[in-house]
Amino acid sequence: MARKTYSLSKIDSITSKAMMAFGIISASFIVLISFFITIRGIRPFITDNSGLGSVNLWRFLTDTVWLRGPTFISTAYGAGFLVIQTLYLAFLSLVISFPIGVLTALFIAKIAPKPVASIMRGIVELMASIPSIVYGLVGVGFFLPIIYNLARALGQQSPGGNGTLGIVVVLALMSLPTITAISEVSIRSVDKSLEQASLALGASPTQTRFKITLLAAKSGIFSGAILAIGRALGEATAVSLVAGNARSGPNFGLFSINSTLTSTMLEGLKETVGIDYDIRFSVGVLLMIVILITNFVLNFIKRKVGNVNV
Amino acid sequence: MSKRKIRQYLLDSLTYISTAISVLALSVIFFFVLREGGSLLSIDLLSGNYHAQGFVGTLINESDETFELGDIIGDKLFTVERYGIVLEQTQDLAGDSVIKVYYVDQASPLRNLNNTDPSANEKIIGLREGMVLRRVSYQEHPTSLTSRGAEAMANDLNDDSREIREVIFSLEGGGIRGSVITTLYLIGLTLMFALPFGILTAIYFNEFAPMNKITKLMRNFIETLTGVPSIIYGLLGITVFVPLTVRLTPASNTNLIAGALTLSVILLPVIIRTTEEALKVVPNDHRFASLALGANRTQTTFKVVLKQALPGILTATFLGIGRVIGESAALIFVLGTAVKDQVRIFEPSTSLAVHIWSMMTDEPANIALSSTIALIILLIVLILNILIKATVFIFSKKGSA
Repeated sequence: MARKTYSLSKIDSITSKAMMAFGIISASFIVLISFFITIRGIRPFITDNSGLGSVNLWRFLTDTVWLRGPTFISTAYGAGFLVIQTLYLAFLSLVISFPIGVLTALFIAKIAPKPVASIMRGIVELMASIPSIVYGLVGVGFFLPIIYNLARALGQQSPGGNGTLGIVVVLALMSLPTITAISEVSIRSVDKSLEQASLALGASPTQTRFKITLLAAKSGIFSGAILAIGRALGEATAVSLVAGNARSGPNFGLFSINSTLTSTMLEGLKETVGIDYDIRFSVGVLLMIVILITNFVLNFIKRKVGNVNV
Repeated sequence: MSKRKIRQYLLDSLTYISTAISVLALSVIFFFVLREGGSLLSIDLLSGNYHAQGFVGTLINESDETFELGDIIGDKLFTVERYGIVLEQTQDLAGDSVIKVYYVDQASPLRNLNNTDPSANEKIIGLREGMVLRRVSYQEHPTSLTSRGAEAMANDLNDDSREIREVIFSLEGGGIRGSVITTLYLIGLTLMFALPFGILTAIYFNEFAPMNKITKLMRNFIETLTGVPSIIYGLLGITVFVPLTVRLTPASNTNLIAGALTLSVILLPVIIRTTEEALKVVPNDHRFASLALGANRTQTTFKVVLKQALPGILTATFLGIGRVIGESAALIFVLGTAVKDQVRIFEPSTSLAVHIWSMMTDEPANIALSSTIALIILLIVLILNILIKATVFIFSKKGSA
């Protein structure tokens, strides 16, 4: 860049310093978040919680019941099962949204005529900008009755349709536009000569799309999936409306009530104080750690998979 | 047809089916919200109170005369000649079935009632048109209830043997004015905090920052903010911004300012990225031309470069508004969940999205009104999407001309 080749005048150096302050403050927010929430989050473990005794960290990380004993009196909190359920639900939702999203992206990028493609892009953008609470509302009003009837038809118990399947459907719908948009960009940016080579060798357009284009775009598609998983892990309000708030687990059944780290943070928030409020910060710290580790592992896998040449 | 061809058709049809599912998903959302909430949408809903202010009154004087109400006829209207009022069986803004007062005669004894609430400022209260009649209780007779309908209540009131003990009525509730105003405040305040901050940061990174490891690290830190779930921002707000505003302002609890500050942090990465993308496409020649004419870099940046980044800033603004309107998880912590009619910036209240959450977690959940609010949010989101497209279209045309 050319901008380093001349010296700064006095006013410019003042401006530059002032601007740097904004940059530093903007960059420091992530540090601020990590620091303050961690400080609040470890408080239940190291203080005696105004006479109730401290929360056992090991039990918190591994127990299969959210709270043993009465609220506001007991400190026997456990969130281990919530971590498992949160990961289970996020990945299950990806099982639905990933194939649909990638194939929709393939349609938009390679098959659809131009006007259809641009309409579809508009639809995907619109879906991406719909707030999560609306997805939650549609989940409650539209999908829960269907799930309830389905459960009854299969002879299963389902409390109002709340639970695993409801969460998975809502999360899948929410992450669909993310996966579609990112996959579409990476499919479009696949080198044309690769496809032409495949066609020249006698492969049909369909074979080329599925065997060459998708494979060549897999790194970008994988990035979309990682982003979607991150969203699904952290989604709170929509999930809390359809979860049914299981207080023990882990629950894996499709029709059983369920809960996630976030839904537990929101559960009963309107009327709570003291330890029952503070412990939500610990769950928040746990959520951040889960997201961080998941991202790290998935990115590691992506690097491994991405290195294989097509 | 060969086996290979069949397989190809199958594979191709998979992409069609997937696309159809995507379209269907969006249709389901719009269809559901329109069906459930469309009928409640009205100007009164947007401007009405959510909480119905209630009154309990006693009669000052029984009337001896009866009133002529013959000309007021309607399908669901029931006249009470004895007291000169007309009742209407209808629905309130939230969709609950209520008995509304359709007409009150000027001389009706129900226009002037003793207020039984001793702490109230107004000693005399009165039934007015548009109010909701909740209950009428009588001496030595069973009470007329809303649940039994307007016709039964009108018949009871017309019964000469009954003497009114208490009239319980209220203003109409179920409106969402408070949440609309809170959302507008939030949009204004958040943009006021986040836009200058984000734009200046973007300018720093694109125009002033040295190309070194520290700059790269700072960029990474800001980029990380995008991946943080909004509920975590809520925790940040309650640990940092709420105590900060409580100390510096008259606020004593969760409040609107803290909500706007929290939202500003959420918007920051979006605004920085969008503005920077706009700054990047400003040709370097423009910078050099300005510098060559004797302007210093500060002048060049703010008078030449920033001007051309306007479409990017506009797009960032629209994206920001969309995010503020849709945000729920963070605001539940920082703003509270209690729906308010009188909005003050140093007090808790709810935005439209939080209003939905608050009603959906109540027992019983109000799906109809939630859907109406969702419909409003969807319409705004749709308009914002069109505005963003229009911005890109208009400015890209200008650039090529």
